[in-house]
Amino acid sequence: MTLSLILQALFAGVTNGIVYALVGMGLSAIFKGSRVINAMQGEFAVIGAMTTVLLLTRTGWPYAAAIAGGAVAGALVGAFIEVAFVRYMAKKNASEDSFLLLTIGLALTLSASVLFFIGRDGHLLPPLGGAGVLIILDAVIQFHALWLIAIGIGATLALRAFYHRTTIGLSMMAASIDADGAATTGINVSRMRTYTFVLGGLLGALGGILVTPLIGVDYQLGLNLTLKGFAAAVLGGLTNPLGAAVGGLTLGLVESLAIIGISSSYKDVVAFSVLIVIMILMPQGILGRAGRRGG
Amino acid sequence: MSLSSFIARLAGATALVGLSALSVQAQTSGEPVKIGAIVSATGAGAGLGVPERNGLLLAEKDINAKGGIKGRPIKFIVEDDASNPDTALSKANDLIFGQKVQALLGPSLTASTVAVGGVTHANKIPQIAFTGIGPAVERERKCVAHVLPPQRLNATALLEYAKSIKATKVGVLHDAGYGNVVMAELKPLADKYGVKLVAIEKFEIGATDTTTQAAKVKASQPDAVFIIATSATPFRNVKQIQITQPVIAAIGSSSYEYVNAMGPAADNIVIPEFVVGEDPLPHQKDFVELYKKTYNSTPKNYEAAAWDAAHIIAAALNKAGADATGEKLCEAMKAPYTGVLASYNFSADDMTGIPISSFIFSKLVGGKYTRTPFRVAQ
Repeated sequence: MTLSLILQALFAGVTNGIVYALVGMGLSAIFKGSRVINAMQGEFAVIGAMTTVLLLTRTGWPYAAAIAGGAVAGALVGAFIEVAFVRYMAKKNASEDSFLLLTIGLALTLSASVLFFIGRDGHLLPPLGGAGVLIILDAVIQFHALWLIAIGIGATLALRAFYHRTTIGLSMMAASIDADGAATTGINVSRMRTYTFVLGGLLGALGGILVTPLIGVDYQLGLNLTLKGFAAAVLGGLTNPLGAAVGGLTLGLVESLAIIGISSSYKDVVAFSVLIVIMILMPQGILGRAGRRGG
Repeated sequence: MSLSSFIARLAGATALVGLSALSVQAQTSGEPVKIGAIVSATGAGAGLGVPERNGLLLAEKDINAKGGIKGRPIKFIVEDDASNPDTALSKANDLIFGQKVQALLGPSLTASTVAVGGVTHANKIPQIAFTGIGPAVERERKCVAHVLPPQRLNATALLEYAKSIKATKVGVLHDAGYGNVVMAELKPLADKYGVKLVAIEKFEIGATDTTTQAAKVKASQPDAVFIIATSATPFRNVKQIQITQPVIAAIGSSSYEYVNAMGPAADNIVIPEFVVGEDPLPHQKDFVELYKKTYNSTPKNYEAAAWDAAHIIAAALNKAGADATGEKLCEAMKAPYTGVLASYNFSADDMTGIPISSFIFSKLVGGKYTRTPFRVAQ
């Protein structure tokens, strides 16, 4: 095993880890704010990426505007799902499993709609920072991957600041920790839940847009991302969006180091064994306790 | 030339054109000859099933325009198995016992083919599957023919090309489904070709990133890289980490769906396959033109495979009689047949009889297929 191979594995691990983290953070933001396990988090990524692709190729918007459009589309779909389905079901005191079934149904519906209206084909977006690469010791990382890592870290820090420093963020946290208490202090709890879905949709769409230049987007991508993002969120502590970031990075790195350390045939065995051990030792997730303090 | 003789010639020419058009549009009448077909029009196998359905329906029109089966029209009853063997089995039962079809074409996937073969074999219903022969049990089913090459042949074609470019050290990237099956045939064959497999790296079906596996292949310093998969991901990753060695890909990645998803990575990749619609072989030209005219897109292997299966069953019916089924139709089906995709001989051991010489080797250049002059002699 050469140094360059290890470095290449680290590059891949961090890049994938940030993608898992972005999906996981959205999932955990929604769970934190509404107790809904959102099985369609990966579809937000597909919506964001596909909207950006369509705006760019069919209407000829400039790339930056198309990216903004894609992110807004994710946020809007998030808001729509809360207003149209979750709010109504919450009024009827729907259980957590009903919400899970709702989001699984929405995930399948959205994936099928993309297939029906846009088609089977995969689409790529132009890489940020051009097609250039950085080469260190023969290990290659694309400029775009560096952008992805930087934006991912930026989004994580911004999310933390949002929850800790802004009135809306603090209100959302209050509404999620104690809905009745929050209501008595004048916080509009159901609006906070809408914001939670907006935030989840935004983060998911951002993840989708950022990953598309590397892996392409098609109608099937959503489920894949949801699974990895869910693993990342649980690993980090489901109630703590920052934990999902740590969980995502851990998952990405364990996966890629397992390939070079042992064998690609046993990649998943190794990766998931490590996850099981972490979950046994830290049942609340890596940052689980911090989650109670609000992440 | 005088004006009158010119007009006479023109009239003659017009009559001739009219006449030939008439002879092509032969009339069929009477009870249609019913043939069942099962494809994966939805689900994971839709990348195969949709082109196959297109090929079948085009063949139906073509066969009927040329007189059908002894003057009777042929009718393909096409069903979707949703890429699910259970569904394939129940559709097969319905087609055979409900609709009373005389023969069955398809399905698209190996698992479904094995399942359906249990019914067709037991009830002596001739079947032509759109798959390569799979598990050992299929060798005993002497009336379940296959129009795609067995995986051993796909593996051989990859090695033949490696040999031709004098690559003795080869790295392999393969997925855990289709890739595993081809790999099982490739490993024992490699020695015979003097090829050493210096890295064999696997990734799960639907993986979104295979960079680390590709890096291990790169680190083994191969002369060439085989990619055996049904996705665009490994191709992009190989180019992303700047593997410059020749890439040779198995036929599973040849559809335009994957090639488009490769983006700029669809360059300098050689694929042993059968149909290059951009530059068809002489005997493929008519099919390619007709397909382009009808569907406004370029056909590849799976469209041609279904087209061939349809024509083989039509030829067998024309020989054995329009009402033939069972062993009589099966025997008629076993005559050697030169199709668009390949030459077949279903009396061969592998129920396919495709010779290695049927392969052409295409090369992706800037996202476009070109045909290389390389062929393997039988």
